[in-house]
Amino acid sequence: MSRINVIVLIVFVGLLVWVFLFGQSTVSKIQRGAQEVFGPVISGANRVEETVSGFGKETLSAVELRAKLDEVSRERDRLRLEVLKVDELVQENNDLRQALNYVERSPLKLVPARVISRKPSNWYNTLVIDKGHAAAIAPDSPVIVPVGERAGLVGKISEVIGNDSSVVILLSDEVCQVSARIEGTTEQGILSGQRGALSIMPDLKLNYLSKDAVAPNGRLVITSGAGGLFPENLLLGRVKEFTPGAIAGEATVEAAVNFDVLENVFVILTEPTNASPESPPVQTDLSRTEVEK
Amino acid sequence: MIYFLLVLVVLVFSFVGQEFVPAIAWAYYARLLLVQTTFYCAAVTVPYPVMLLLAAATGFVWDARYHVPVYPEGSAHAELDFGFTMFLFGLMGSLIQGVRPLFRRGRWELPVFLIGICTFLSLVIQYLVISFHRGGLYLSTEMWFQMLMTSLFSMLAAPLILLLLSRLAKWTGYRIRLEGITRKYRYGDSI
Repeated sequence: MSRINVIVLIVFVGLLVWVFLFGQSTVSKIQRGAQEVFGPVISGANRVEETVSGFGKETLSAVELRAKLDEVSRERDRLRLEVLKVDELVQENNDLRQALNYVERSPLKLVPARVISRKPSNWYNTLVIDKGHAAAIAPDSPVIVPVGERAGLVGKISEVIGNDSSVVILLSDEVCQVSARIEGTTEQGILSGQRGALSIMPDLKLNYLSKDAVAPNGRLVITSGAGGLFPENLLLGRVKEFTPGAIAGEATVEAAVNFDVLENVFVILTEPTNASPESPPVQTDLSRTEVEK
Repeated sequence: MIYFLLVLVVLVFSFVGQEFVPAIAWAYYARLLLVQTTFYCAAVTVPYPVMLLLAAATGFVWDARYHVPVYPEGSAHAELDFGFTMFLFGLMGSLIQGVRPLFRRGRWELPVFLIGICTFLSLVIQYLVISFHRGGLYLSTEMWFQMLMTSLFSMLAAPLILLLLSRLAKWTGYRIRLEGITRKYRYGDSI
């Protein structure tokens, strides 16, 4: 080996050690810089993806657009009335809770966000959304989407990259573990994705159930609220199969959210974390939420 | 020197191109790793010190763009630490340097095959590191298919990138030299 090779190899190893010693804040700064540099390319790629996926979709005519607008306007007016009604009910509910010495809980604060990149990593099921520090998003904030009348859990914020982007680690990833329970029962466990699960709708695993748990197929699985990270009653999926074990039972759960078609999501803003398992669960009814513009 | 700068420019373009490469559903969400493939192709053509410098630069930018900070319980370092790609590029680049004599003679089969092997190996190493952190080794068929398809995509793209690099080498008059050999070879010379 020539001298120059040895010198460059030593420099390379030194560089590696130096980079490995970077702290989280340094890595964040570097990634923020990269996000700014690659920003125009990422949005360009996103536009191309949208254009390609839009091929074959029919464009609406002016008349159809007018009809659609009218329909949406009527729907908006109806919802406004409903919101007024709901506000009254919320007020009444709060008054009753106070009267019963319940702990007053503030409604969820939601930030709408748009998915700008899907699964950029090989080994992690992630999304990148277009909201970050500027929208007060913090790591571990839960991310949800409406599923019918309920809120379905998508995952949690893994990292806030900059003012206008964050990485969401999906519920289908093994890393995203959620305290869950089977609706209508007292059975609780930990729900997570499976390593190496790469299909469109990978099944989830609900572990640490009791070995003789009552987990009929089709029963809803929801967040339990234990741990304080995720609000309770967020929809996670449906029981597909229950396997009793020697010590604990395990259920295979079909995810409620289709992670492959997500375009718009909502991030639940969290307080500076002092949550504990004993902290009171927050309201998860979507009608009580306050959506930031 | 001009050739090295052009290789750097090609790598920059590969980063731009990577953003437009979709994950392919029928291939278990495998995608062409354009940056990796371009780097491995470049590693066949440049001397060892230049390869290491390219590995450091390319790995750093890759991690800056694609690093996912997932931290194991109680650890300040991510599962796949920032800089891990630099290490992988350095390691795989060193392996690929072994087939430079073949490439110099205009034989591309083994370099292309080795690029596929290196892509596969780097994915396996990443997966093993993740498994080490999480405990237990879970190997699914889907996962193997994904890694194989990713490697196959690399092998399909490699000849095109090697063609581009060989054209650039000819254009700039760049000669591939090997240590210990006094004679200088131009790309395509027979020994």
